[in-house]
Amino acid sequence: MAGSIPESGFAERALVAREPAVRDRRWDALRRAARARLAPFGAAVLLAAIVVALAAPLLAPYDPLAQNLGNILARPGRAHWLGTDNVGRDVLSRVIWGTRVSLVAGFVSVAIAAVAGGVLGMLAGYAGGRADGVVMRLMDAVLSFPPLVLALALGAVLGAGLTGVLIALGVVYTPTFARLMRGQVLSVKTRDYVDAARALGASGWWIARHHVLPNAATPIVVQASLSVAFAILAEASLSFLGLGVQPPAASWGSMINAGRGYLQQAPWIVFGPGAALFVTVVGLNFVGDAIRDGLDPRLTR
Amino acid sequence: MAEVVFRRLLATIPVLLLVTAGVFLLLHLTPGDPIDAMMAESGDAAAKESLRRELGLDRPLHVQYALWMGRLVRGDLGRSIRNGEPVLDNVSRRLRPSLELALLAMSVSLLVAFPLAIASAVRHNTTVDRVGTTFALFGICMPNFLLALLLIFLFGVTLRWLPISGYLDPLEEGWAGLRSLVLPATTLGLALAAVVTRTLRSSLLEALSEDWVRTARAKGLSEGAVIYGHVLKNALIPVVTVVGLQLGTLIGGAVITEYVFALPGIGRLVVDAVFARDYPLVQGVILLIAVGFIISNLLVDLLYGWIDPRIRLR
Repeated sequence: MAGSIPESGFAERALVAREPAVRDRRWDALRRAARARLAPFGAAVLLAAIVVALAAPLLAPYDPLAQNLGNILARPGRAHWLGTDNVGRDVLSRVIWGTRVSLVAGFVSVAIAAVAGGVLGMLAGYAGGRADGVVMRLMDAVLSFPPLVLALALGAVLGAGLTGVLIALGVVYTPTFARLMRGQVLSVKTRDYVDAARALGASGWWIARHHVLPNAATPIVVQASLSVAFAILAEASLSFLGLGVQPPAASWGSMINAGRGYLQQAPWIVFGPGAALFVTVVGLNFVGDAIRDGLDPRLTR
Repeated sequence: MAEVVFRRLLATIPVLLLVTAGVFLLLHLTPGDPIDAMMAESGDAAAKESLRRELGLDRPLHVQYALWMGRLVRGDLGRSIRNGEPVLDNVSRRLRPSLELALLAMSVSLLVAFPLAIASAVRHNTTVDRVGTTFALFGICMPNFLLALLLIFLFGVTLRWLPISGYLDPLEEGWAGLRSLVLPATTLGLALAAVVTRTLRSSLLEALSEDWVRTARAKGLSEGAVIYGHVLKNALIPVVTVVGLQLGTLIGGAVITEYVFALPGIGRLVVDAVFARDYPLVQGVILLIAVGFIISNLLVDLLYGWIDPRIRLR
């Protein structure tokens, strides 16, 4: 489901739902082969996006903010590969600069969520009792809002700008990571080797660092890699609505919103950044799937 | 069953309390003075003071919260700053377009997803199947607003078959009203259809490999009777779960869809209120959406235990 922030919570229900049915093994093998073919494509897209984002000043043929009112709504051609927009700015250059915003939004918001959720989940799992109850009810409360609606409200209150959106998306994705981490802590806590470590006099902090974190790292990394694509979609949706990076700075979502009044005369204003967004999200999805399969085959659906 | 319902309801009380507290605090997250943010254009100090007093922002925080909760319990969600009307009136006026959109989108998604998923699963690993899986992948990665603009470009601007924005009520305008909802419902419906297709297809494949399918075939049932009488019923359970999981995304998608197509629904109301900095309206609407979301999640949970007695809620 696209266009908005995907549902991240209520994972337990999904787990309960999955039945231990007999798998069609041939099908599994085929799917893995298909993914193996798609993963390099995903990796290439991700790599290209990172290079474009880093080298934006070198790659962009024009100044992304430079208007040229004598050459507005120009068709894609040799001078402007993706045409120009309603004030004569080069669409390609703006798409290139917009890559930065999208990648920063995707990675930073997920990093915020992974760290915040990780800490909260560990606290809840370790402390147990009342602290656990408070933290997890708090996470339930965050999950009680449709993600995009919550991000919209938070982003608006925090003020327009990328920072507000990053924090808003970080908050929205935190419960997923908190639940994941808490589950890991609870399962590791009861293992014999933890009892052994404790008997040897290890502190809670030492156990957390040496036993819990390494065990929890894999699911957290898998979840993070799958979340980045959705976070990029979410940032684009919010900036389409007018939050996030403010004009004239370029972001894919805001470019698409600005171009929608010119669909008839100049559809390239919408379809340039639209294609960039779509390809990036598809690529990241492949990478996320590959990381999931590679790191933990048990998580394969 | 009644006990299960009661216990689930009881468990939502602390969450509801936290949700209301969060919505209340939303106003106070504004960097600086919320009154300045709301009345940025106005230099009228007296008007600002009166708004501050009306919202109770001149009182200590806990007093404000107590007053706000007191009004909430009596069903008073506050008033919009912009049009001065109660939040509930603002919302109820916008409810119908949103419900119509949701209903039509749901129909579109089922009409697309079921045939596609069944065809993909039955003709597993053929061209049909590849079309189905590609559609699902594209639908999942395609942002709602981009799909909306693609559809507008194709059917509104290029082919000129359908209106590209605006809303006429189908219950009053009939055919013209329905036409105004075709593109929005398709936008929202296809996104959901992608998820349903993917889930239904893989659960159909799983069900098809069960022993009882061989038994059903062996006793001479036609392939249609096997699929529609046995397999489909068993494959539906994960679909219900996934649709439940997607509710939040669906609401977000509806916000975007209503915004793009200028439908006067709840989603449009949220966006407008956010950008008008009409914070009391934002608080009220978001609270209502959250409560609606909690209730529908509860219903999905209960529905789940009802459909599949093997997985009863404990």
